Amino acid sequence: MHSDALLTLVIVTALAFDFTNGFHDTANVVATSISTRAIPPRAAVTMAAALNFVGAFISLKVAATIATGIVAAGAVTLPIVFAGLIGAALWNVATWYVGLPSSSSHALIGGVVGAMLAAKGASAVHFDGLLGKVVVPAMLAPLLAFAVAAIAIVLTYRLTARLRPGPASRGFRAGQLFSGAMLSLAHGTNDAQKTMGVITLALVANGAIPASHVAVPTWVVITAASAIALGTYVGGWRIIRTLGMRIIKMDPAQGFTAQTAGAAVVLAASHVGYPLSTTHVVAGGVIGAGAGKRLSAVRWGLAGNIAIAWILTLPTAAAVGAGTYVVSTVISSGALGPFVIAATVSAVGLLAVLIRREHKLTPQPADATR
Amino acid sequence: MTLASAIIDTHALLQVVYVSLLAGIGVCVVYAVAVVGITRAQERRRANRPRAAVLYGLLATASLVACVWAIVLGITIMATK
Repeated sequence: MHSDALLTLVIVTALAFDFTNGFHDTANVVATSISTRAIPPRAAVTMAAALNFVGAFISLKVAATIATGIVAAGAVTLPIVFAGLIGAALWNVATWYVGLPSSSSHALIGGVVGAMLAAKGASAVHFDGLLGKVVVPAMLAPLLAFAVAAIAIVLTYRLTARLRPGPASRGFRAGQLFSGAMLSLAHGTNDAQKTMGVITLALVANGAIPASHVAVPTWVVITAASAIALGTYVGGWRIIRTLGMRIIKMDPAQGFTAQTAGAAVVLAASHVGYPLSTTHVVAGGVIGAGAGKRLSAVRWGLAGNIAIAWILTLPTAAAVGAGTYVVSTVISSGALGPFVIAATVSAVGLLAVLIRREHKLTPQPADATR
Repeated sequence: MTLASAIIDTHALLQVVYVSLLAGIGVCVVYAVAVVGITRAQERRRANRPRAAVLYGLLATASLVACVWAIVLGITIMATK
């Protein structure tokens, strides 16, 4: 009975996290389209939400990596999954609060690994999987997106150099409808699967799925897809402003190349099961598209702040996940601890939202410069 | 076998690198060619040069078809594996 109540709490928390993931990462998907005026903000967010939902059904390889490749599925308990989710959610809320585009994915993985370390020790963590499937791709992906976008924008400018700026900009604005759509699809494919993986872990911990034969149930796919799509639709303008307008002042060609580079990297990584951060990849693409035009076009100070947030994500979420697990077991060895923590975190989250409403931001697209 | 190659699936990682480079740069370049084709076709039509307009129009169409093909191929490969 306690186990069922705790399972329900974990699933609800995981779906809430998935919602915040969509909310938090809307910026990655739509920021460049909005900042170059390729598509109106509400239409961009609606398109992103719909394609996030569709994208979640394309592949399950990332979910399999999360469920089996990073921690020992057989050693997972419901309080561990819960503590991991809380670690990730708190990091997400904190970075959203200050407007930094950090990685929901790495927060989730960090949270689960931290809680696992606190509960079962290092032997229950697959450090080879963590390094080979998360850390190395995490370091490579933004650099790859940077390179793809930088090379692509240089070639694009060369090809279109003799065109009048007006028609060229119109052409790339139209292209951003498709590059934005592909990026939304890629985001849904990679990010929704992480929640699917965590819910599957919880079902393994509860005994609903055998640890020897881990498979993602269809209802998990549908609920995770719905939660991330809803979160995306609700959106978050704060990070859109940082990513789409403050790192570089983008023209439509830069927006198109940044989005295409991001979509290519995320889809290629999803294909081999890497739980990549869409945030890292898109920011890498945006900076690459800026640097490819002119190095001084990038606000490197802000890019540095984002990089610091990225570096801190895994260890901080792991520390919060571990701390949450310890506090939860101090309160109670059963379901009471997670319920008390859930109530406390909900209250803190609500307070953060109410405070932010006092300083509500509205989107103000930057001028296209080309 | 080194420790690094034991931990990291270099085949998968390299696959991500070359697919991203090929697809990302390829789609951008081909789409840029399409933008050039469309713009030049419009200019030639206004300049009353219909043959050049048709040729640029064909270039634009072929480029757009190639872009759509690349996107559909990518999604199909992901969905079928």
